[in-house]
Amino acid sequence: MKDDAKLRPDLRLVLDAQAERLDAARPKAVARQEKRGRWTARRAVEAIADADSFVEYGGLVRPATDGMEGAADGLVMGTAKVGGRAVDIVLYDYSVYAGTQSAMNHAKITRMFSHAEKHRLPVICWLDGGGARPHDMHVVARPSTPTFVVFARLSGLVPTVGISPGRAFAGHANLAGMCDVLIATKDSAMGMAGPPLVEAALGKKYTPEEIGPASVHWASGVIDILVEDEAEAIAAAKKYLGYFDMELPAGEAPDQTLLRDLVPENPRRAYNVRTVIQTLCDRDSVLELKAGYGKAAITAFGRIAGRTVGLIANQPMYLAGAMDTPACLKMAHFVQICDAFDIPLVVLCDTPGLMVGPEVEKTGLMRHSARVLSALANATIPVLTVVLRKAYGLGYYIMGSRPLEPAILLAWPTAEFGGMGLEGAVNIIYAKELEAAATPEERAALHASLTAELKRSNTAVESGAKFLYDDVIDPADTRDILIKTLETLPQPAPLATRKRIIEPF
Amino acid sequence: MTKLQAKSEVSGFVWKIEAAPGQRVAKGDTLILIESMKMEIPVVAEADGVVVTISVEEGAAVGEGSTVAVLEV
Repeated sequence: MKDDAKLRPDLRLVLDAQAERLDAARPKAVARQEKRGRWTARRAVEAIADADSFVEYGGLVRPATDGMEGAADGLVMGTAKVGGRAVDIVLYDYSVYAGTQSAMNHAKITRMFSHAEKHRLPVICWLDGGGARPHDMHVVARPSTPTFVVFARLSGLVPTVGISPGRAFAGHANLAGMCDVLIATKDSAMGMAGPPLVEAALGKKYTPEEIGPASVHWASGVIDILVEDEAEAIAAAKKYLGYFDMELPAGEAPDQTLLRDLVPENPRRAYNVRTVIQTLCDRDSVLELKAGYGKAAITAFGRIAGRTVGLIANQPMYLAGAMDTPACLKMAHFVQICDAFDIPLVVLCDTPGLMVGPEVEKTGLMRHSARVLSALANATIPVLTVVLRKAYGLGYYIMGSRPLEPAILLAWPTAEFGGMGLEGAVNIIYAKELEAAATPEERAALHASLTAELKRSNTAVESGAKFLYDDVIDPADTRDILIKTLETLPQPAPLATRKRIIEPF
Repeated sequence: MTKLQAKSEVSGFVWKIEAAPGQRVAKGDTLILIESMKMEIPVVAEADGVVVTISVEEGAAVGEGSTVAVLEV
């Protein structure tokens, strides 16, 4: 059509200008990205948006500084359908001045974030760039840049997903840090300040990878989902946004009889609670967040018979499931996401309690464990608790206990309820008797027999008789009871106002 | 044939060694039990294979992420 000689000049001008921003018209830029081993922003748009659904905003924008050229001024943005759901997408284009933030593209992205706020659309941010564009210092009357404030105000209102496919420093890192969920490739690097600023401040040259490699951000909990490449990053973003379709047809259920043997008979033997989560949820429906951080707990989204749920669980494989500061921070953040968007929460409890000792006190555990309790106590979402094994002390109190008024409180046959571990309890209750023992051997034997006696009077069935749980169940029935309980909890009406913000961490 | 390192997810002490060099193991089999926080934490085979080496002794301290055995898969 563009070659049609009969086109009027005004239309031809528009069509030519539109074509200039596409990869086909920018072979040098495409080659530069290929050399970096990265996708172009346009290719990412193709992969993110459902076919023929992208409507571009501000595609004709050029840099404000005289003499500078750059397609769409380095920011590709617009509305699109992603998995059938309307989404606003913003992608920094690294091939335009290293994806930097300019006077004009700040104005663009602010427009898009305001659009998301007004129309309640989730946002996907492709954060490939190195912060502010210094050339813009020359722009006369540089306008205000509300980008970060507008984005911060989306918290809890619409889901926000960040993708770091290469480099995200300074302003880009600031946006990454505010996303509910941050996805990053293994070879990406991020940081609050890039090499030039670090060198100016600290007098030492570093590469971006030395300042903030993905491995560091994975271990610190900054990255929620670590992926190999752009394609996996986009797939993860789509999977996450998919949970906001709260009800899908039921997926395939794994063999539930596996659950009967997942918790070992030997109470000292650890097991991987991920297997419990994978077995309770529809096959291939689970997406774990922050797996590299706070390993004493697991936080994941999944579907149970098609219904979206959040899951938090203690992980006996790490610190025996004792809740330390990282585990608490991770769970508190996750509960906030669930509560903000009315996602029911399944809590799987097997914890000896909060982690103890002088080292954890130095991490501020008093305040950070309080975050989890505060988030759950003030959440309005239904909580469905299953006690898998240990339900001790304040740890259990936080993990969906009776006072938190869970929609249902279930226990497996291995459930052990107590203020502390039985062995420790015996030490305190029978201190005099143990002290009186003649030899260490006798003391050990007495301790073992008292522990066994306490254990017999403390079975899950005995606890059920004291109404500590709503029921003690066959583990193989757990999924079925969770499904039936979820069915008693109708989907809440769409939120007319923001319920809560989600703290960035 | 590729070598696969079995690593301890936690720091602790080697409680029991449950596999020996030359032994054929299936995915999910326990190779070594680490004791940490009064719990026995299994290090399992990530895939079917044969144990090549066990690189720790019972009672030895292990750090988080350290290799405790090598499999050939």
